[in-house]
This record gives sequence, structure tokens and C-alpha cells, in this order.
Amino acid sequence: MLDANCPNCGAPIRFRSNDLPVKVCDYCRTSVLRTGGNLQAIGKIAEVPDDVSPLQLGVRGRDGAQGFELIGRVRWRYADGAWNEWLALFDDGSTGWVGESMGRYMMLREVDDDALAPVVVDHIKSGQPIAIDTLITIGGVDYAVADNKQVTCIASEGELPFNAPLGLTATSIDLMTPDGECASIQKDQGGEVEAYVGRYMSLAELNATGLRSFEGWPMPASAA
Amino acid sequence: MSDDALPADAAPPAPAQPPVAPVTPASTVRALSCPNCGGIVNVRAQGLTVSVLCEHCGSTLDATSPDLQVIARANEALKTPEIPLGTRGTLNGRVWEIVGYMERTDEEIGWAEYLLFNPYEGYAFLVDDGRRFSLGIMLDRLPTMGWGNAMQLDHQSFSRFGGTYPVRVTFVVGEFYWRVAVGETVDETDFVRPGTMLSCEVYQTERTWTRLDLFDWGVAEKAFGIPARRREYSHPAPHEPSPYKRQLREALVVGVVALLALFVVSGIGGREQVIGQTTTDAVLDGPEKTVVIRGLDLPSARSRVVVDADAGAIDNAWVDLDYSLTDEKTQDSVDSYGLAEHYSGSDSDGSWTEGDPRPEVSLSSIPGGKYDLVVTLSAHRWNGGSSSSSFSMPTGFAGGSVFGQDSGQTIPVTVTVKRGGVFGGNILLAFLLIAAWPLIVLFKQFGFEKRRMAPVSGSGGSDDDSGGDDD
Repeated sequence: MLDANCPNCGAPIRFRSNDLPVKVCDYCRTSVLRTGGNLQAIGKIAEVPDDVSPLQLGVRGRDGAQGFELIGRVRWRYADGAWNEWLALFDDGSTGWVGESMGRYMMLREVDDDALAPVVVDHIKSGQPIAIDTLITIGGVDYAVADNKQVTCIASEGELPFNAPLGLTATSIDLMTPDGECASIQKDQGGEVEAYVGRYMSLAELNATGLRSFEGWPMPASAA
Repeated sequence: MSDDALPADAAPPAPAQPPVAPVTPASTVRALSCPNCGGIVNVRAQGLTVSVLCEHCGSTLDATSPDLQVIARANEALKTPEIPLGTRGTLNGRVWEIVGYMERTDEEIGWAEYLLFNPYEGYAFLVDDGRRFSLGIMLDRLPTMGWGNAMQLDHQSFSRFGGTYPVRVTFVVGEFYWRVAVGETVDETDFVRPGTMLSCEVYQTERTWTRLDLFDWGVAEKAFGIPARRREYSHPAPHEPSPYKRQLREALVVGVVALLALFVVSGIGGREQVIGQTTTDAVLDGPEKTVVIRGLDLPSARSRVVVDADAGAIDNAWVDLDYSLTDEKTQDSVDSYGLAEHYSGSDSDGSWTEGDPRPEVSLSSIPGGKYDLVVTLSAHRWNGGSSSSSFSMPTGFAGGSVFGQDSGQTIPVTVTVKRGGVFGGNILLAFLLIAAWPLIVLFKQFGFEKRRMAPVSGSGGSDDDSGGDDD
């Protein structure tokens, strides 16, 4: 935990995890990079366009025994739409992502580098296309490719493990299993490949509380 | 209002103004104006919606661009969905708002799909085939392959319904979370079980599985305030449960019970009881003889009466038996006739015998009471045709013993009267009556299944199917 002030506007900013070096200032939307004790303003971030997502920073939830709080968000866009990735800080200090797309939610955790076979990593790094239904083994589990797309960052907010300015690009592969497990493989602009695994969960299953309320819509009973 | 307190701890000392916490809940609806016609376009799922089709001019707008760029301009009168956009309804305890509407066709039949939205639940589909509604939820997991062409989901098996077929969008209005356009075609494959369909759609690099659950008649109509559809089963949906299945089960159960009862009744009623007997001698070629069996008691309201005659010793002769069963009280009588006969001989094919010396006569539905049976017998010798030139008997004719006997020879005839016993005909009739209802329902069920399978059982459909099975 580190409490400091935004190098651009002076507003207080808080870094809650040593693993998350980037914080978008809530007030001036400057992206602040922390290296050790030094803070550096590295650019302005566009405001996240309003959407009807029931999630927001500060929402609390639970994945199994572990509670979490949403502390950051990146909004990605691709040719046929956009989706949110919310950074969840768990009570034990670890992090995960809640993917929010087409009104559905995926709770995802990053896996170790060796969970993906090197040949798969090389294939993805090469940028060659991957057909849907291709089976990819992640950590011993076979996932089928459901979707494969080029994505661009629209905006970001809160604390993040990387700087996510407008125009940041990535390759995103969505995968699924028959058991409701899902996975995501992302290749970032630098060509690094990371894999995330988890499962589709409803807001009720996530025990999400502190959701946004919307005019005329009853808050689900699980969030009360 | 605990929500309001959330951002309060972040009050900054800096001059920058903190973002104002929303005091009133945000609205999910954003009113924008169509850049083509200027009409108001209500975007109900901001941030999720990708395409908007203006309900005034039909132009396709890009909701991912801040100013609703026009993708396809249109200026045509649009049809209005039966359930207007923006209508809310509660299905299975969840509130849904209609945000989009499209019509699709497989080039044989068309149907409508409403896109439903709830900010906490996401999306669902309300599919209207013109008769019944189904709720469609996109699957977040993959069904597994089952036996043959079947698919497995949640321990339920879904059988494949026909081959893969193209589905084309013919009309669209409202907003959608994907890029929608008239003419867009996906390849669809359906798997069904009664009440539920799994639909697999492949579009370019994306495959989606949707589970469709059929609503009971009138449920969706009531939820969204439209007139209830009339029940009819002329063109069933592929996943429509047969309305006759339960009836068939009931009819079969009732039928089996009735059959068991029939067996028991016929077992009890089938036992015959001797109520009278007499033996008399009939004189061959002698005068008629009349005997009477008195005091035949028929206690049941309706009884079956069997009269057995036994002229066992008869050969190459016949006995005419006239029966008259007379009610002692009313003198009403029922008449019948029996013939005891037996002939034997031999010809070029060897020896032969013919005729029944023990005829049985059944009288059904005799009213209860005391009866007399009047039996009139007359016995006749068969001449073997030997006196007739037109009838040549084989040389080895064995009837000599009879010929050799004097006239006046007698034949003992025993007449036995029995009551009870169930007519085979009555049993059959009862069986048919019992079987009629299950059979009618069975035919209805077959008819329903035939109509349900009609879209894929035709010659074209089965060709498609066998073609699809090859891969």
C-alpha cells in the first residue's frame, strides 16, 4: 500500500498492491507509473464512456472462499463491439480479472507461463490465425477456441498492472470447455502471451455487492 | 442509500472537483437523435449495444461511435413489432425489456426474435414462431457429443433435428449487441428434446449455442401484454412436447387396467355351469321325437345359454335338433337349431370322415327366469347316394354295417344345457372398445409427431440430413 499524490494534479492517489504499478488518477485522468517510490505521469487516459454495466470500482464480490474488490478497469473494443475487464484485488493480495462481455461475466486468474505449451505460445506469437474449435491445453485442461479477435483499448480507470492508454492493441482468444470453464489468451503489443483461466459466473454467483443502481430496474436480490 | 457513501472517502484536498456521486440512479436509456431522419433513438443498453436500427427510418447506426454514425441509410416505412420496443415483462421472475426485434427465415418458414435486456442479467431472446414463444439463453458452456447425432447438456440428451441450414435475417429494428444487417446469414443446427431446443449458430469465426425453452401457452403473451395465441397443433415447433403424450400414457394405463378387469370378468364369467341334461334315443328315419328339459334356472339378468348335443355313436346319418327355450312365466321363446352328423367312407385318396356329431349352440343375452328347453329330434340315415346314378360311391364303401341294419335303429342323443360363459364376440367387442381410446390417442400422437418432423422428414429434408451425416 502506498498513499501519494498525483504528480499532475496533486490529488491523493493510493497504490494498494505492489504488483500494480499503474494508477489512473480519479480526478485528472493522468496515468501515473510507480517505480519503487518514484511516481511518474505517463499520459492522459480518456474517460471511460458511460455504459449500463452494473459493475463499478468498489464493487465487492467473492470467488469461492476469497473476497475481492474491483479496483481497476480496461475497456477494449474490437470490430464488432466492446467489453470491460475489471481488475479484482483479492483479500490475499492476489489479483484476477472479471471479464464483462455481452452482459455475461467471466472470473479469470492468470496462469503460470508453463501452463501453455511452447508450441502454442510460438503459434500465437507468430500471429497465425487460430480456427474456432481448435483445442488448446492450458494447465492440463482442454479448451476449445470460441473466438479470436484483434482488440484496441478505448479507456481505463483505477489501478492496473500495465498502462492502458487509448489505442493499445492486443490479440484476444476466448476459449470454453463443456463444464462452463473458460479461458482467455492475450497477446499484448509487445508480443508477450499470457493465459487466464476461470469460469462464467453470474452476478449472483459472484456475490457482487455495491452494484450500480439503475432507474426503474430492481436491484437483484443477491446484491441487496 | 449506501451506494452514495461509496466514493465519499475519496474527497480530495486538491482544487480539482471530485466526480459527483450520482444521487439518483442512472437511467439505462439514452435518447439520441438519428443522424439520418432526426427522430429520437432510445439506446437502452449503452456500452453493450453495437448496432441500432432507427425505428423511424430504418437506418443502421453504429452505436460504438459516439455520434451514431450511419452505416446503412434507409427511408422506408417500417413494420412495428407485435410487442413494441421498450416494453417490459416478467418471465420466470426476471424483468426483461424488449430492446431489439428481428425476423428471420430458413427460406421455408419465418419467425420473429425479440432481444431482451436486463442490466443485471444481460441478454435473452424471446422467439416467436407465430404460435408459441420460447425463451432463449446463450449458453456459457459447450454441449458434449452424445450417442449418434445427439448432444448432451446437463445430463439431458438432445436429438438432432434435420441437417444444418442457412438462416437469413429479413427484417430488423432496435438495438443489438452485434453488428446486425438484413440479409446476414448464419448456419444453424438444431438439437431437440420435448420442451427444449439447443440451437447452434455459426457465423464466420464465431459459434454460439443457445438454449430455447418453450413457454406454456399464453405465458409470454401475458407477460408482455399481447393477446394470447390460440391453441392449435397443426404445425408444431421442433421442440414442442406432444399434447397427446400424457393422454396416451393415461389412455394406456386405463386401457391396461380395463383389460385386466376384462380378463378377470371373462375368467369368472367364462366358467360354464350345467343346468340341465337329458338323453334320448332318436329313431333313424323314424318319426320326430320331442323331449323337454324343465326348470332351467337363469338367475342373472342376462345369461348366455349353451346347448350341447352329443350323438357320438352316429355314422353316415344325421340328427336334426330344433331347440326352443321357453320362459315358463311369459312363454316367450328363443328358437335355435343344431345338426349332429357324421359320415365316413373311403375313396381313391383313402378313408375320410366328415361332420360334427357334437354340435354346440349358443344363445346370448337370455333374460333371467325359469325356462324349459323343448328339443325336437329327427334322425335320418344317409343313403350314401348308392341308389342315385349321379352319385357313384367308391367300391370299398365302408358304410355297410349301417346299410345292413334294420330301420328303427336308434341313436342315443344327449342334450346338455349350460349357462354362463362369455361370448368370444363379446370379449372381442369389449377389447376393441377398451383399445379404441388408446388407439385414437396413439394415432393423434403419430399425426403430431409426423407434423413435428415434417420440416425434416420430407424428401428434401432427409437428403439434407443424410448429406449432413457424412461429415
